[in-house]
Amino acid sequence: MKFAVNVIEALLIVAIAPLVRGVIARVKARIQNRRGASVLRPYADLLKLFRKEDLVPDTASALFRFAPVVLFAVTVTAAAFVPVLHPSALLGVSGDFIVLVYLLAAGRFFLMLGAMDGGSSFGGMGASREALVSTLAEAPLFLGLTSVAILAHTVRLSGIVEFSVRQNPFQLSAVHVLAFGALALVAIAETGRIPVDNPTTHLELTMIHEAMVLEYSGPSLALIEWASAVKLTLIMALLVGVFVPWGMATSNSLLGLAFALLAFLFKFAVLAIVIAMIESSLAKLRMYLVPDFLGVASALAILAVVFTALMR
Amino acid sequence: MGLIGLAVAKALASSAVFLFVTVLMMASAKRISTCIVLFGLQSAVMAAQIVALAYAGKLLEAYAIAALVVVVKIVAIPYALFRIVRDLKAPHDTASSTTVAQSVFIMAGLILLSFFAVAPYAKTLRIDENMLASAVALVLSGAFLMVSRKKALMQVIGLLVLENGIFLAALTTTFGMPLVIEIGISFDLLMGVFLMGLFVFRIRDTFEHLDVSKLRRLRG
Repeated sequence: MKFAVNVIEALLIVAIAPLVRGVIARVKARIQNRRGASVLRPYADLLKLFRKEDLVPDTASALFRFAPVVLFAVTVTAAAFVPVLHPSALLGVSGDFIVLVYLLAAGRFFLMLGAMDGGSSFGGMGASREALVSTLAEAPLFLGLTSVAILAHTVRLSGIVEFSVRQNPFQLSAVHVLAFGALALVAIAETGRIPVDNPTTHLELTMIHEAMVLEYSGPSLALIEWASAVKLTLIMALLVGVFVPWGMATSNSLLGLAFALLAFLFKFAVLAIVIAMIESSLAKLRMYLVPDFLGVASALAILAVVFTALMR
Repeated sequence: MGLIGLAVAKALASSAVFLFVTVLMMASAKRISTCIVLFGLQSAVMAAQIVALAYAGKLLEAYAIAALVVVVKIVAIPYALFRIVRDLKAPHDTASSTTVAQSVFIMAGLILLSFFAVAPYAKTLRIDENMLASAVALVLSGAFLMVSRKKALMQVIGLLVLENGIFLAALTTTFGMPLVIEIGISFDLLMGVFLMGLFVFRIRDTFEHLDVSKLRRLRG
């Protein structure tokens, strides 16, 4: 039973990832007074891309075809570490939050390699920007997760989530507030949402992710897009699981799991609306201000770690 | 009844966190108007703290002090500051001499420093360490805002934050000063803000900017 639930959790993240994107795009369209495409549009996009021909530049090596597959595989593996309905995950070992951070880093590494292998100057430019952002985002992501791990006295993600579930919702701990601030900023940078990167732009001066995938087409592009949607969903699920997990099932009863699914969908809907509102009300930062943005995240994360010692 | 008591205890326990959050956000704010809103929020947290203390200690006088804080620090002073910002017609940035990340790092350092500074006293005086530490942190961060921001209005806001810290320190160590003194301090502060507002207008009219780092010579 528990195994089945864990498999469903991992599949849920992978399956609803395009939907999450669709909902964010739809809410954004509504805020901007447009009707917007159907929330199922990303699925149609993926289906269309999977049917198309995969064009490979003449200059590219085998790595170009290989990179999206690795990226997708690694991201889906990372998704299997995140507890969604129940404070346990399909893959869970001691210290798995470290594995999660570096699985995401490995995926990004291969995407950057593929982008540079494509041979266009945009690929290299996007890869260098992505390298800058991810280098700066790694420390706060890691420290933020470490601080909640110290608080929960466990190095397993499922243990951290279980600690949060059992915590009194009104007992606000400084560590949680600071770590949430840090991880929310990191999540924006990691998933390439608006103040850091604009997912809908093709303007050469500002794009990061789009510049990297410019040379890709067909099934490869579909895999990359799906992987980045999975990454967005898994980071959202991670934030929800670590900071607002209330409603998660603590036993394996069917009723509890159904309630947990409803609570999960509700929290995701709220989060999607919040993201859409942030994206509609903020302008993209200049590239030189991104280090500042992530510097704030680092300061918050460091403060969170130090506070674990101060506020017992 | 029991529920209210519980809510009061939780509000007191987590209020320090909210104060730290307002201070850190002030460090990262780029516009003066954001800082004014954050100052109002900070005062609101303090008003909630006073109400919680009044409820816990059954102090009727403290309710009056809380009402005073609401009227003066949440309504009157932010309103006056917004009026000044609107009428100045000057650029709205805080003109910080440190970058946002540096400001947040320094602010985080000041918060830690205040924890270490109050640790010996909190034990001997047997008062809540978090609240005393947040009071000292407010004093330090107000002073930091005053020295690191170049716009004349930010000096006013820094002073207000600093005063909030002193107010909170008095509240935690002595359960608040007598009502008469609180009223005196509040109106002093209000008058201070108006006077400093006049000064800010004079600075702008005489020097045609608000940058205090450029006020180096006398002008008639």
